[in-house]
Amino acid sequence: MTDSPATPLELTSRRQFLNRNALGLGTVALATLLKDENLLATPKDIPRGPRSFDLLPKQTHHAPRAQAMISLFMHGGPSHMDLFDPKPELTKHDGKDYPGNITYSFVKRASKRLLGSPWKFRPRGECGTEMSELVPHIAGVADDICLVRSMHTNINGHESSIWYMNTGRSQPGRPALGSWLTYGLGSEAQDLPSYVVMPDPSGHPVDGVRNWSNGWLPPLFQGTVIRSRQPRILNLQPPKHLVGELQQKNLTFLAALNRRHLEQHRGEADLEARIASYELAARMQTSARDVLDVSKETKATQDLYGIHEDGTREYGTRCLIARRLIERGVRFVQLFLNYQPWDNHSNIRASLPSICRKTDKPSAGLVKDLKQRGLLDQTIVHWGGEIGRLPVIENHGDIKKCGRDHNGQGFSTWFAGGGFKAGIAYGQTDEFGHRSVVDKVSPHDYQATLLHLFGIDHRQLKYLYNAQDQMLTDHKDCRVVRDILV
Amino acid sequence: MPRLLVGLLLSLLIPGTASRLSAADAPLTYEGDIRPILRTHCFDCHGAEKEKRGKLDLRLRRLMVAGGEGGPAIVPGSPQKSRLLARLTAGEMPPGDKKVPAAEIETIRKWIAAGAPTARPEPDRLPDGLGITPEERSWWSFIPLKRPVVPAHDASQRIRTPIDALLKQAMGDRRLGFSPDADSRTLARRAYLDLLGRPPTPEELAAFVADTASDAWERLIDRLLANPQYGERWGRHWLDIAGYADSEGVTNKDVVRSEAWKFRDYVIRAINANRRFDRFITEQLAGDELLKGSRDKLDAGGVELMTATGFLRMAADGTGSGADGPAARNQVVSDTLKIVSTALMGVSLGCAQCHDHRYDPISQDDYYRIRAVFEPALNPAAWKNPGQRKLSLYDDTKKARAASIETEAKTLEGQRNKKRDTYIAQALAKELAGFDEPLRGKLKAAKATADKKRSAEQKALLKKYPKLNVTGGNLYQYNQKHADEIKAFDKRIQAIRSRKPKQEFLRVLMEVPGQVPVTKLFHRGDHRQPRHEVAPGGLTVTAPDGQRLVIEPNDKKRPSTGRRLAWARWLTSGRHPLVGRALVNRIWMHHFGRGLVNTPGEFGKMGEKPTHPVLLDWLATEFADSGWNLKRFHRLIMSSTVYRQVSTHSDAFATDDPENIFYWRKPVFRMDAETIRDSILAVNGRLITKFYGPPVPVKEDAVGQIVIGIDKKAASNRPGNDIPLKGEDLRRSVYIQVRRSRPLAMLRTFDAPVMETNCDRRVPSTSASQSLMMMNSKFILDSSQDFATRLGGTVPSWVTVPDGLTGITTDEQRLTARRVAWAWHLAYHRSPANDELVAAMAFLADQLDFIKKNPDQQKGSKIPSKVLVLVNLCQALLGSNEFLYID
Repeated sequence: MTDSPATPLELTSRRQFLNRNALGLGTVALATLLKDENLLATPKDIPRGPRSFDLLPKQTHHAPRAQAMISLFMHGGPSHMDLFDPKPELTKHDGKDYPGNITYSFVKRASKRLLGSPWKFRPRGECGTEMSELVPHIAGVADDICLVRSMHTNINGHESSIWYMNTGRSQPGRPALGSWLTYGLGSEAQDLPSYVVMPDPSGHPVDGVRNWSNGWLPPLFQGTVIRSRQPRILNLQPPKHLVGELQQKNLTFLAALNRRHLEQHRGEADLEARIASYELAARMQTSARDVLDVSKETKATQDLYGIHEDGTREYGTRCLIARRLIERGVRFVQLFLNYQPWDNHSNIRASLPSICRKTDKPSAGLVKDLKQRGLLDQTIVHWGGEIGRLPVIENHGDIKKCGRDHNGQGFSTWFAGGGFKAGIAYGQTDEFGHRSVVDKVSPHDYQATLLHLFGIDHRQLKYLYNAQDQMLTDHKDCRVVRDILV
Repeated sequence: MPRLLVGLLLSLLIPGTASRLSAADAPLTYEGDIRPILRTHCFDCHGAEKEKRGKLDLRLRRLMVAGGEGGPAIVPGSPQKSRLLARLTAGEMPPGDKKVPAAEIETIRKWIAAGAPTARPEPDRLPDGLGITPEERSWWSFIPLKRPVVPAHDASQRIRTPIDALLKQAMGDRRLGFSPDADSRTLARRAYLDLLGRPPTPEELAAFVADTASDAWERLIDRLLANPQYGERWGRHWLDIAGYADSEGVTNKDVVRSEAWKFRDYVIRAINANRRFDRFITEQLAGDELLKGSRDKLDAGGVELMTATGFLRMAADGTGSGADGPAARNQVVSDTLKIVSTALMGVSLGCAQCHDHRYDPISQDDYYRIRAVFEPALNPAAWKNPGQRKLSLYDDTKKARAASIETEAKTLEGQRNKKRDTYIAQALAKELAGFDEPLRGKLKAAKATADKKRSAEQKALLKKYPKLNVTGGNLYQYNQKHADEIKAFDKRIQAIRSRKPKQEFLRVLMEVPGQVPVTKLFHRGDHRQPRHEVAPGGLTVTAPDGQRLVIEPNDKKRPSTGRRLAWARWLTSGRHPLVGRALVNRIWMHHFGRGLVNTPGEFGKMGEKPTHPVLLDWLATEFADSGWNLKRFHRLIMSSTVYRQVSTHSDAFATDDPENIFYWRKPVFRMDAETIRDSILAVNGRLITKFYGPPVPVKEDAVGQIVIGIDKKAASNRPGNDIPLKGEDLRRSVYIQVRRSRPLAMLRTFDAPVMETNCDRRVPSTSASQSLMMMNSKFILDSSQDFATRLGGTVPSWVTVPDGLTGITTDEQRLTARRVAWAWHLAYHRSPANDELVAAMAFLADQLDFIKKNPDQQKGSKIPSKVLVLVNLCQALLGSNEFLYID
């Protein structure tokens, strides 16, 4: 058969099935085998989309540091100079005018009046990183945190900056980080989706479901939403009248129909794969129920997340579920908040502490819990939003009612675990906190660094779409920020 | 396993490599082996442009020997002394991240060691640019089309058509042959799903099965081709590559294109009318240039021609919704070229936008030649946004009436503006009052001065106090009541305008007469770096050496330049090597689930090679020679043995060709997304056959899934309440709105495309989310219930069950068994085998028994248990492979 032409479709789907089931010959092993014999004939730099898609674990470009990531997305623009980026100069010049130019979003209430942080900072832990009194619990794990104070998108808008951070371009329609990770790495979870999203029970974040879109990547790589009420996972549970044995009987009957059909189409990998996918779906129903049941955790663990306190119960429960998910091999979990609670345009003195109270303890609890279980080393925790806030006030007449307007030029984000250095603060904004100035980190740097920790070279993770070679980092100049990695 | 592995290994020998393996011992030559490597990695700086970096030109062996500033690049016979090799090996060249792979460096080393031979004497003179070598011209898709000789054959080998003869020839002396013909039920189901995108009704099926005439199959195909649902099905295929969407994309708003559906209807109508495909293409590329009379007074034919140009308006276009600017405009142009080139030529020109194509002989000049074909209509320098490109179908009376209403609206608008300005002034006065003198006076003076006349000092002053920038848009931030009042005006103005006679528009592409822009090549594809002028023309490689299509820049005989028409004529001349191959490959793909070339949008080196190149070329010539007749072409393919054979497994053939590369059986493939949805509705008897018209709306439901529904959005992008759909939800999927940002969950889950640009091939996936959808989604649960309701009605008398089967004794059981058999007919188009019937009856009994023992679970359920068990049976059938796959 040496002169036979290149073979289409079926062969790859057969391969897909073989890998998944029968021979136990994983993709990794196969790829290694072929590579050794120098038979991977496609030159590396010819962009080429895979011809069929699966969730098998993939060979990484280098040894990964991280196996999973939990992203606590902080919508709206957390006020860095009130939380993680102390600015003594700002405090000193409180009430005076900002000397340079500022790009505002809300002109009517624009002001140049500087606002020193109403909250006190002090050095934390052995590392001495300064954090504010608003986040006492996060400050309590400062020694585990890699704080980046030089993030910037240079765009003031929420959506545009979210797209930039999450998809690599400040326009809608591209796949989210979680989709890229799932595409590039495959799934380690046997009976759970690999990319899970947990929105807030009170409502979707700004821009809704697009936050976890697979864009033009195949639907296989879309984020699966775990909701806070039934149905917890869309289409996962049958209606009440079918739940349990009745549906099991249905599936058994369906399997019998499919087996009979397969007998006449022996070796048809696609048909076999679909039979397997029904089995997987059924397993998901059980395992998902199990993973969502936080009552199985000890009181001590629950307390870490603040599950027994009103203010933190909801967010704490989601953080705890996130940990349970990654324990079971889920690759990427992202938590969202209702609308954008960090968007403190007005009344920042009350609104900022309120959202801090909701998220501070659970976020820190997650880090502590992962650490005590020995999971932090291979799990990235990400805490951050898409923009920061301005050092000047947003004027609502009464100074007591003032807030801060959008700031895409500089903001803070922190990471823990998964190969990030612990107990460091990296990068700087200017003396007032408006612009990122030293060791600046762009969204593409952020993405390249995360991919790197997962063993992926961001320039090599490509998807052929519309005859173009697409990448998360969008062919832009960027760097793996090695200074913040172990 | 060894056999499988052999297959696996073969599969990875992707294009370019299979032939090289067989020629592994042939001597390496510059043209055949070295130039392609240099083209990919080096020619950008050392060949393509007039200026060569380091004065080093790598385009000929002798130039390499001559070398550049650093001395000779190669010393034939001596790899050690060859600087080129040293630089490559050290990773110094090429600069940047992309390096030449070790295997390719090794090839260069071997070639130098062998004395750096060339395939033929090198030319004395070399024009600028990369030119095209005979090796590059010999790439399969660029070779001029020549009708292959069909081998002699006789009917005893079950060869019905030249297609069969060519496939049989390809099988060679392998132990392969065609499988037996499928039975008439299987064939009918296959044909209906294939041509109409829905299964046959039991009546349609019965009619075909009962037809014992020798030409029953041919007549069935004719009937299906005459059914207008055929246009809906095959129109959808065309809409994929046209990148059809009902929204503009690009920006967050993803604004709706209210007229796009007219192009969709045009496609469906043209396909149904069996418009000659060359004409179909020409209309879409240049309908406006085919127009006889004036654009202002269109007859039906004129409307048709103008609607066809909507093809060139499918690219995402945000220039009217907040993303205007040179970059955005140029993006629309390049996306349009991408659609045109992948759809019609099977190549992605995009790679040549920034530099000469790195793998294929397509120069950057070539790219801009094609761009010049379109620029008179898509001219970034005199851009029209989507709204400005609408063509009105108003007649004179309506125009007059509309004008008088517009005057009325304008009057009120004047009043509103006056009021608004007053309010702005008031708000401003109030803000100013908050300042003390003398600052107040200065600010006041600054505001009173017109924008352009303000002094630098005044500008700086105002910049310092941005809150003084009161506008109509932000008035609400100052005085909500005033803003509301202005809003009320807007409502009244709108009400007046709504009385205008309904104005119909078309989404069209057309030129502005007399506007003939000069197209320039963009250095590195950057519109801010225009270089030399490029005249319209064809791709160099698609015509014989020296005969590239030259297009008259401005055809004086018509109001437009005539460029697109001239190019369309060349594409459809039957001599273009890419067009015919690209078209027939797609048609084949839709009939067999895979193309003869598996990368239908990429016929260059980055794509895959044809599995059956001879058959592909025969089909391409046949299509053009027989008058670009699509329906005739379906008949040809479907009357072949390869199409009519069974899809089932055969041990005998699978040994030699487990992957069915040689088509010894009909490939089995899953229905596409639209066919699944439409078929489920058809099986339930609920599919509504309403043709054409505005799209069925979609919305985000409460859990964030995109479903059919009228969107009544609450604030901040979150879902609102349900509004009745009046049967629109039961229409065929082709009519469902294609909002780029909101692909229907049910269709998207089964791999319907998200339209960013266009979709040249759907990659089918198999995922747990599909299974969950078939197990638990509202759509499938409702559909199963509808199916069961249909079964609960009258069962046709011809649906009978045999006597004496286990579990079928009482009259009631007999009736239930007949319902089960009826379900089999509807979903599978066959009677259940006896054991299937018995198993199904046992399933129903077992379920009923379980429900009786567990009554609590059914509390509150509206479905009676006897019905419920039937619903469950229906759901299993709809989710089963026999239903979802086309045998």
